Amino acid sequence: MAVRANPRLIDELELYGAEDVQKCYHCGNCSAVCPFSREPFLFPRKSMRYLQMGLEERLAGTLEPWLCYYCGECSEQCPREAEPGETMMSIRRWLTAQYDVTGLSKLFYRSWRAELAAVLLVALLTGAGFLLFGLKYGGGSLGVYAGPGAFLPASSVHVFDWILGGTLAALLAANCARMWWLTTGRDRRVRVPLLDYVTRAFLVPLHFVTQKRYRECESKRPWAVHFALVASYLTMLVLIMLFLESLHAAPANRLAHAFGYLATAGLLGTTLYALRGRWRRATPLHRHSHETDWVFLVLLVYVAATGILQHALYRWFGLDTAANVVYIAHLMGAVPMLAVEVPFSKWSHLAYRPLAMYFADLHERALARAASPAGAQSVPAAA
Amino acid sequence: MSRPPLPRIGVFVCNCGTNIARTVDCEEIACAAMEWPGVVVARAYKYMCSDPGQEMIAEEVREKRLDRVVVAACSPRMHEPTFRRALASSGLNPYLLEMANIREQCSWVHDDPRAATDKALALARAAVARVVRHEPLEKRFVPMNPATLVLGGGIAGMTAALQLADAGQPVTIVERADRLGGNVARIDLTAPHLDSARELLLGRLARVSMHPMISVLLRAELEQLEGYQGNFTADVAVEGASRRLEIGSVVVCTGYKEFDAARVEGLGYGRLPDVITSFELELMLKRGRIEMADGRTPRTVALVHCVGSRSEEYHGYCSRVCCMTALKYGHEVKSALPGAAVVDLYIDMHAFGKGCEDFYRKTAEIKTLFLMYGKNAPPVIRPAGPKDDCNLLITLDEKLSGEEIEVPADLVVLMVGMEPREDAGRVAQLVNISRDKDGWFIESHPKLDPVATTTDGIYIAGACQSPKDIPDSVAQARAAAARILAKVAKGKIEVDAIFAEVDAARCSGCRICGTMCPYGAIEYDEEQKSSRVVEASCKACGCCAAACPSLAVRARHFTDEQIFAQIEGVL
Amino acid sequence: MAFEPRIVGFLCNWCSYTGADLAGTSRIKYPPNVRVIRTMCSARIRPSFVLKALAEGADGVLICGCHPGDCHYSEGNYKTLRRQVLLKRLVAGYGIEPERVRLEWVSASEGQRFAEVVADMTERIRRLGPSRVEMLPSTRRAG
Repeated sequence: MAVRANPRLIDELELYGAEDVQKCYHCGNCSAVCPFSREPFLFPRKSMRYLQMGLEERLAGTLEPWLCYYCGECSEQCPREAEPGETMMSIRRWLTAQYDVTGLSKLFYRSWRAELAAVLLVALLTGAGFLLFGLKYGGGSLGVYAGPGAFLPASSVHVFDWILGGTLAALLAANCARMWWLTTGRDRRVRVPLLDYVTRAFLVPLHFVTQKRYRECESKRPWAVHFALVASYLTMLVLIMLFLESLHAAPANRLAHAFGYLATAGLLGTTLYALRGRWRRATPLHRHSHETDWVFLVLLVYVAATGILQHALYRWFGLDTAANVVYIAHLMGAVPMLAVEVPFSKWSHLAYRPLAMYFADLHERALARAASPAGAQSVPAAA
Repeated sequence: MSRPPLPRIGVFVCNCGTNIARTVDCEEIACAAMEWPGVVVARAYKYMCSDPGQEMIAEEVREKRLDRVVVAACSPRMHEPTFRRALASSGLNPYLLEMANIREQCSWVHDDPRAATDKALALARAAVARVVRHEPLEKRFVPMNPATLVLGGGIAGMTAALQLADAGQPVTIVERADRLGGNVARIDLTAPHLDSARELLLGRLARVSMHPMISVLLRAELEQLEGYQGNFTADVAVEGASRRLEIGSVVVCTGYKEFDAARVEGLGYGRLPDVITSFELELMLKRGRIEMADGRTPRTVALVHCVGSRSEEYHGYCSRVCCMTALKYGHEVKSALPGAAVVDLYIDMHAFGKGCEDFYRKTAEIKTLFLMYGKNAPPVIRPAGPKDDCNLLITLDEKLSGEEIEVPADLVVLMVGMEPREDAGRVAQLVNISRDKDGWFIESHPKLDPVATTTDGIYIAGACQSPKDIPDSVAQARAAAARILAKVAKGKIEVDAIFAEVDAARCSGCRICGTMCPYGAIEYDEEQKSSRVVEASCKACGCCAAACPSLAVRARHFTDEQIFAQIEGVL
Repeated sequence: MAFEPRIVGFLCNWCSYTGADLAGTSRIKYPPNVRVIRTMCSARIRPSFVLKALAEGADGVLICGCHPGDCHYSEGNYKTLRRQVLLKRLVAGYGIEPERVRLEWVSASEGQRFAEVVADMTERIRRLGPSRVEMLPSTRRAG
């Protein structure tokens, strides 16, 4: 069956940041220097070719961009300045849009104005919602931050967090299911037995927590930074989802607070590090910044800063009213950031990357099995 | 066989340092030679080609009143001209020399000194036997008519004509069509600089029509060409009437015609209205609107390269201009229809010309989709279905991905290759030049003499020789003109002393020689009932002499007597 | 003494003679049995040259020209090829083994090939033995 070419695919990818694909003349240097490129996943050259040929269906089904961590070696070595690393990054953005069932991702990636509008809208709704809630159902007075009569009782915020988290998780799960269909489910060349799905499932949490593959890049520093960032996120997530009351309540739970400080320092440190990198454009990873990258980083800094500020205002200076105002401002940043980024934009990779590792392993085993019918034993060892 | 009065022969044996003397006993040859009939002096010397060596020969010629010289040394292909000059300097006709090749074909290829010396003796003896029968030969000259006939008024023909006319020489352009300009007049822009073809032509057209030294015959055809280099007579039919021209040279610039795309069945040309040829697109571009048959604007334009070229079934050769022309269309389509996508389906991208690789890169950067198909596996084009958002679907086996790919397109342009014109065979016959297996005119030497032909005085330029772009055609036309001007400047044509001649008394008029001659250099004299060699056209291959049943044709310097004597000598 | 064949070689000026020169400049060794006569084109070789050589006592005649399609005079070697067919028949009619007359294509770049052709021909004629052509009274044999 013939594959349909889409002559406009390359124009479309330009909207996601791939501007130099056409310079590529397929010398293959990029794939040769890439420490991850090996059978049956050869990249970035293959993806460059799919793009140049307009093979949309093949590109939508590839796992390869998720196996790339953008160390930038390929872009450094490229004799044509075709930026294979950046192209892989752009394809990841495009794939995120392909996986998204709502179509919002496509809108946000193609137009930073749309993304900004969405962020502002959600921010306003959040602010108005919490203000209204505080006045009507909460303590009613901005002068009380915590304890009985608090303007925003911790328990209520906690419930809201769970509702938001559940909604976002559901959206992300739907996108993951679509990712499975595009990359694995519909691909007739890979037949994955059900048992493999079960026995190899441990790969998802493994890669989610350790990002161990990132460590295989030549330079270990990006992994270390990324690991610190993820550890901070996870800590923050656990604190907010499970210990929100103790964060608010007085007397403070010292242990929860200690973790809170640590996570905040991690978040702010790594985010500032990333911002500085993008500003200086020192590494290939940071040389090209899509508008959505800036929106994300600015939001992160804003959320971290307002988080610290509301904490300081309440704990150290005892300024309840100011703390309440900043807290609402903090939520006005955090909620839209999570709502936009997790299911529709950059943050979704928290699910796609470990899943891609898992699917890639399944593909590899299925292909090996197909190549040697008797050789179920010759299946490669765990990743 | 009658022998001439006893000659006085000098034999000079070269040691060539030790190159010859190491294996061949040169003194022995000199001694033995003294015994051969007619030899009055025989000497060996270390370097015969050196100045002292040549002087020695000249001195012996004068002192001993030698009338024949044999030099046993290296290959005549190496030093025959040197020793001929030595003879001439001593007042002897240079053709009274014979060389025995005892280096390249003796001392260097044999190890046994006895056997090598015996062979060298035989070769020297044969040379002595031969030289006895040599005759003094003189170079001849024929006048050169400065007028030139240019066949074809395309870019090559006009360029050659202008160059000749600007040098003050008369030119006649014979053009079959009713206008000048040829195929270049049919195109819009040129690759790779996107200059207007019209502007390239306009200046030339004006100058050609105004030039006092150029006369243009439109709707005209060459009917007959007689004569030889410097002295041709051409009969040209101009709109029914015949006109006779006296000319010295002919430049053939008859160009090409495009391949008939309908011959490639799967492309659907002629069946599908939105499958057009490159020349049809040029017409649209000249009119300023790219459109489909129903008047709509195409959103995707596909360009199929190598239509009729580089295939086993049609033409094996590359038509050279189509790749760059297709890239040019990429730019023209994108600038005329900014939203349109362009797809190039190619076999290999031939971007060899100056600036062409850059042009390829630029075309890629404007996001042209390049898909590669295999030789002898042309894409197949079919109408799209009602559900497709395009007009046509092209299927191809894409070579770089190994995938069978379907490309949606609204307009497909076939890059038709070049092929020889239908009348190329007739033109070749008229001016007596050859054609290669594909029907293109053959040049004298593919590398060193690409504008002359095997017939002296007939030159070729432009795409009638092989597919060519404009710069190459212009360069070849200018080269042809320069070649003619060099001959015109001399005023006469030197004819080598070695050529064939017919003894009219012996000739029976059977005309076998005439049919053998590859150069048409043998004329038949109806009055005398005998054949005659046109010295200026003869190249001295001697095939006529070998074929003459009455021994009436003599190949000068390679006569039967000379060779018979040589055979006797070597045995 | 062992039989040493005497072979007359007719070589065209543009390809084969140049090829034989190349064998020399490349110092490729071959047997000394072929004595070369140069003609402008192999088509110059009148059949009587070959008969003359055989009559004079040559044990073999080697004719070399340009490869088909490469003739300096565009088609001379085709004429030679056509003559060769008749010539072989003619020679056989005289009771001479037709293998004694051989036509080979040697280009200007084929020095090695020329040496191989000479070696092979010499060996074949050696096996065939001396020519049995009766000497003509006028024949002057080399001593």
